[in-house]
Amino acid sequence: MDTLNNILEYIGLFFVLLGSIFLFLGALGIYRMPDLYNRLQAGTKASTLGAMSMVLGIGLMQPGWLIKLIVIILFIGISNPLSSHALARASYKSGIRPFFKKKVDDYEEEVESEKGKMESV
Amino acid sequence: MKKYIIFILIAILGLTLAQTFKAIPFGADRRGDLENPDKVAAYYLKESPETLQTANSITAIVVNFRGFDTLGEVTVLFLAATGLASILYRKEEEDEEEVERVRLPSSSLVRTGAKILFPLMLLLGIYVFVHGHLTPGGGFQGGAIIATGFLLMLITYKHFETNHKVMVWLESLAGLAFVAVGLYGLFAYGSFLQNTHSVGTLNDLISGGLIPLIYIFIGIKVGTELTNILDILLKIKKS
Repeated sequence: MDTLNNILEYIGLFFVLLGSIFLFLGALGIYRMPDLYNRLQAGTKASTLGAMSMVLGIGLMQPGWLIKLIVIILFIGISNPLSSHALARASYKSGIRPFFKKKVDDYEEEVESEKGKMESV
Repeated sequence: MKKYIIFILIAILGLTLAQTFKAIPFGADRRGDLENPDKVAAYYLKESPETLQTANSITAIVVNFRGFDTLGEVTVLFLAATGLASILYRKEEEDEEEVERVRLPSSSLVRTGAKILFPLMLLLGIYVFVHGHLTPGGGFQGGAIIATGFLLMLITYKHFETNHKVMVWLESLAGLAFVAVGLYGLFAYGSFLQNTHSVGTLNDLISGGLIPLIYIFIGIKVGTELTNILDILLKIKKS
């Protein structure tokens, strides 16, 4: 029993370390990326994975909390990508365009057609 | 010229703050002796687990030692909500055509996600204010979390309506219940908001006497009140 707890604690420490590395990379990405969409992507992907693995690591170190922490992980997994999706969509619709010129921009056409629909209604 | 005035003002402000902080001895023990408390901080820290059986000392201070102050805070929030409602109130009949809440529809991803997250957020809010005397947080925080859940639904769905009558009734009843608990203390033990003497055991869900009951009422009141404020503020006139 004691050795099992020790092993779980080491695995938990590994997950916490992994999570803190990803959180650091996310912060670095927010500082370093050129425009809103890149920053959102860096912030969301890295910080979602970082926070999830950090919480999982704490759950492995304290098995009594594991069920609550799994619920928190699910909550982060739903809410974090969703909020950045809403932010990115809102900023695209309010006219912020990506920093690098793209050759293909399917979403622009869709937004334009939606605008037409809104005005006709 | 403006720059210099701002600079002088900031300097005066900084000097005043520095004077204030100079009066506080750095690193001194301001808590006092825990065993024989002679200062108020040590008294609170000693009394809240021992006589009140409340694990969260801050809750014990907010709801029990300074319960009357908290009643005043709740009243301030109530007055703010009433003031907003009286300024921004519109008659129901003209609501239909002129008022709309969201200009653009949300994406289907956000709509689906909000449906999943809304009950979870309500659950978290209720958890926070029910466990106010055991864990960090309490009525005000739990109420704010509940209002956040409602805000998510209000900005996601165009036709999501909170039942205004139920909200107002819940809010008023929760406020009345708070005062009723206070009056119970007055009649049973001789002073307003006096806690009961049977307080249960430390770290139980039912412990701390009347503290969890009061915090549940505060949670309901703050949640419904903030939801009403958001509902009123989000209704914009169609241009």
